[in-house]
Amino acid sequence: MTAKAVQELETLKKAVIKDAWPYWLGGALLGLLNIVIFIYMASPWGVTTAFVFWGAWIYQLFGGHSETWSFFTLQPAMMQALKGGLLNHGGSIINIGLIVGAFLSAAAASQFKIKKIKSGRQVIAALIGGLLMGYGARLSFGCNVGAYFSGIASMSLHGWVFGIFIFVGAYFGSKLVVKYLM
Amino acid sequence: MSETTVIIKRRTQTPVKKKSQIGYTAAALVVIIAMGVYLAQVKTLLSIIWFLGIALGVILQKSRFCFTASLRDPILTGSTTLTRATLIAFAVAMVGFAALQFTTLLKGGPVTGNVSPVGLHTVIGAILFGIGMVISGGCASGTLMRMGEGFAMQWISITTFILGSVLGAIHFGWWTENFFRAAPKIYIPEVLGWAGGFWGQLAVLALLYVVATWYEYRNID
Amino acid sequence: MAEFTIDALGEACPIPLLKVQKKWPELQRGDVLVVNIDHSCALKNIPEWARKQGQNVEVEEVEDGVWDIYIEKID
Repeated sequence: MTAKAVQELETLKKAVIKDAWPYWLGGALLGLLNIVIFIYMASPWGVTTAFVFWGAWIYQLFGGHSETWSFFTLQPAMMQALKGGLLNHGGSIINIGLIVGAFLSAAAASQFKIKKIKSGRQVIAALIGGLLMGYGARLSFGCNVGAYFSGIASMSLHGWVFGIFIFVGAYFGSKLVVKYLM
Repeated sequence: MSETTVIIKRRTQTPVKKKSQIGYTAAALVVIIAMGVYLAQVKTLLSIIWFLGIALGVILQKSRFCFTASLRDPILTGSTTLTRATLIAFAVAMVGFAALQFTTLLKGGPVTGNVSPVGLHTVIGAILFGIGMVISGGCASGTLMRMGEGFAMQWISITTFILGSVLGAIHFGWWTENFFRAAPKIYIPEVLGWAGGFWGQLAVLALLYVVATWYEYRNID
Repeated sequence: MAEFTIDALGEACPIPLLKVQKKWPELQRGDVLVVNIDHSCALKNIPEWARKQGQNVEVEEVEDGVWDIYIEKID
């Protein structure tokens, strides 16, 4: 190959593996991927329902009876999925895949790094934030993926309502960030 | 824009201590393929789902896609680039979703997709979620993506994220009794007609895109 | 031609950008602001913000997953 051709391929490799892709490209690809997920999983992309299962299985490891939670007793399909276990649960597998995929992508660009915590305030913010998101997602039938992205794409009114009020939440959250984390 | 001498001078001074992460990359690929092969033996569908998850992780990480930033940046930094990218994602997904939904409906099936009861609980849930994602620095997909990128903070927030989900699952009965049961599931095309719902929503997304662009540049030149 | 540094290592988005925006009015024409970050989102939103303002921006990867962003105030 000529030097020019090699250089051309190097440029492409850098653009694909090393550099960040444009946001709009990410958006378009996620839109397409959500359609593929809908086709294969019979329902659109969602993230947080799997977290209920993770908590339920961990609880069972310690001898707890998570099958008595109303989330499972009132929803037979969920109860069945609970009995199926982690390796039969598509929602869990796609989430774990997401973590591994992000690791692969960061490592391929030589950008993986354990990012340490800077302050105790960050830890408190992370703990409270996680709790609010976990509980909030149960009330609104999904997170910003299941309710907002997939909800709006499903042309459901709850997606739009979620979208409007998540902005309100983000407003209060931003105030807290500026006040306590800056 | 030409590069300044200050910058060039600084750059040549900085020692480069980079190493390649080819080992991590290779290890990740081995795990991904091994898991894919294993799942294929359990059930082909699970293997497909596994690779869809990998693709999501790669796309989110490569494009630095962040739903949290798309909702927070317009308020905090004035940028709407990510907000506009999410609108593109919505529009693309919506076209495919509509095709799938309408096909099922034409066959006499139910409304598919994520159409859930809407009411006060949606409002409360969205506000709680919005606060949580901004202070913890990542929504659900963002938390998972950053766990993969190596952020310790997200490995902490996932624990309470699961705990909060569990509490929500335990209280599911109470919320069903008092909120979900009476709340309607509203599929927009059933209200506005299939064509009206589809084209109307697409038009709203396009309008939001224009407004977001205007908002970002309103203070410049 | 002064040079300022912001250490935003370990800070999650959007704090690095907010720190830059807070510091920015103190800079004179020709000054350079160096932002040290390890959050990949800041790698995108800080240069994007600065370029939108018409400033000179250079990014350098100091080590794996750590970057220095140089912003020169040109107006």
